Amino acid sequence: MFQQFFYKEWLKTKWVIILLGMIHIGMIIYLMLALRSTLIASGKIETIATMIGRDMLFITPYMYIPLISSVVLALVQWLPEMQQRRIRLTLHLPVSMGLSIGSMLAFSLFALLIMFGIVACLLVVIESIWLPRELIVRALLTLGPWFIAGLMGYSVTSWIILEPSWGIRIVWLAIGAPVVYVCLISSQPACYDHFLPWLIVLACTVTCLPFYSVYRLSMGKGL
Amino acid sequence: MKKIVSIIIVLGAGVVMWLVPACYSLLRPHTDKFPFVLYSQLDSDFIAFRTIDKQVHYEDFHGQVFTKAQADSLLPLFAYRQLLAEGRMPDSLYGYELTPKLIQRYTFHFKTSPRQLHKPSVGLYTMLESASGSVDLTLPPDVFRLTDDGLEFIDCETNALLPAKSRSFTRELKKKGFCFPVQCIWGNGTTRKDYDNGFLLSDSQEQLYWLRMQHGMPVVFPISSDNTHGWKQLFTMEPASHLMIGLAVTKDNRLYVIRSPHKENVPTSVALPIECYNPDEMQITIIGDLFHWTVTLYTDHDIRYYALPSDAIYYKDSIPLTLHSYIPDPAPTWQQKMVHILMPLRLHFTSYRTQRIFPTLNDDGL
Repeated sequence: MFQQFFYKEWLKTKWVIILLGMIHIGMIIYLMLALRSTLIASGKIETIATMIGRDMLFITPYMYIPLISSVVLALVQWLPEMQQRRIRLTLHLPVSMGLSIGSMLAFSLFALLIMFGIVACLLVVIESIWLPRELIVRALLTLGPWFIAGLMGYSVTSWIILEPSWGIRIVWLAIGAPVVYVCLISSQPACYDHFLPWLIVLACTVTCLPFYSVYRLSMGKGL
Repeated sequence: MKKIVSIIIVLGAGVVMWLVPACYSLLRPHTDKFPFVLYSQLDSDFIAFRTIDKQVHYEDFHGQVFTKAQADSLLPLFAYRQLLAEGRMPDSLYGYELTPKLIQRYTFHFKTSPRQLHKPSVGLYTMLESASGSVDLTLPPDVFRLTDDGLEFIDCETNALLPAKSRSFTRELKKKGFCFPVQCIWGNGTTRKDYDNGFLLSDSQEQLYWLRMQHGMPVVFPISSDNTHGWKQLFTMEPASHLMIGLAVTKDNRLYVIRSPHKENVPTSVALPIECYNPDEMQITIIGDLFHWTVTLYTDHDIRYYALPSDAIYYKDSIPLTLHSYIPDPAPTWQQKMVHILMPLRLHFTSYRTQRIFPTLNDDGL
């Protein structure tokens, strides 16, 4: 049943996922080309000295891309379900809510993780040609909170969309938006290094929030 | 579902604890409570520059108020350009013929704060050439990292290790008794300075060393010190006087000056008569001139001022304290007291102590 839900979600969102994946890959390739251009134009020594002395990594334009793409994915996945009330059909299937909604949420989170994984791999492979490993680790530590913001952004957006009552949606937005923003307070390289494990715990916790909205939906609240 | 409701309540409470104090912090008036203070040997007191209603007021710590012209006269080494322009600059003071060159040579500013020190380190350092013979410093073609057993140089052009240079620097350090791994290191990698003083390092035995690169070769000096508590923080400096290499802070919060080698031909360290400087908690400002250093420490409760004689710092075995004073922080206003009552738990992710993002409770100085 898990595979069927995955396949259903893939059919529904594949073009958006492919488009978002291309945006992610295109963005990271663009940033790496921009870094290469700087290395050639300013000189490798000067560029590396700038990266060390002035806390620059040349990946800051990517900061909000994971969050924006996860919000778009959640909108594409859940808005038709809510508008056309297809979610109610899903809830009437002879499987538990945990399995049906859980599979649908897991599909998108898995898709986002694959996108982020490809971005991280591309960054490591390309930057390791030019830069010492310390700067690559620093770039990964900087990307980490942005990826977590993406995962939390997806869960929070799903939580809000699946909520049946508009009034409660605003309350969830007031709680969810600051929680996601915690990952984006600063763009300074690696400044989340000590907080990153706790952010992962927070992201895992936030993943369960959409289930509450679906529970309220199944109870007929807010309708 | 009860667990999820609990999670939502906890998240909501966290958001309120974070955003309400943050909004208050944006709305409350920010007043400059720290006056700029310098020691005047002519007045034998600290002179404070207080800005009130965009007007600068000059007064010493005994309450004596000065005009700007009087304050300039009492601080001739600070206001020498103004005094020269007005033709009021004394020819000599305390046996020294005061020339702009001499004043500039001995004047330096040093300032650092916990926030500047507490940030994620890259772990890569640039070793500049200290004896290039050129007026302008240039970046080296390589950077180095610290390993458990030495230094490892990396060529920036090829991103490849430089084994010969790495061996040379590691061998020279070990030859001078350095025990890896490095505990503390500090160097100013910028080329925007007059000359380069290399790096101050402490080893696993808490012995202090001075490392420089001259003509591509390592030059290492062990630094003698009476400190037995280990080193918490090192600062390399490049003052125009060339009389010191930097500052060092011990793990029991004593501040040392590392003097350049002159008489003994080895760098030496001497403790300053400042009872406690904790770089993890306090901001420090040092303004040094020909006669005195004015050291300002910003603590959680007050601002402490110390005047120390420059000649003793650079040349004597013990340093007397010329003057010490402090200004306690103003008592909390009724708004601040209300904030403490209305918001007993305040969540912060940023701090004046660090550039790292990490949640803390009530770390706001409200």
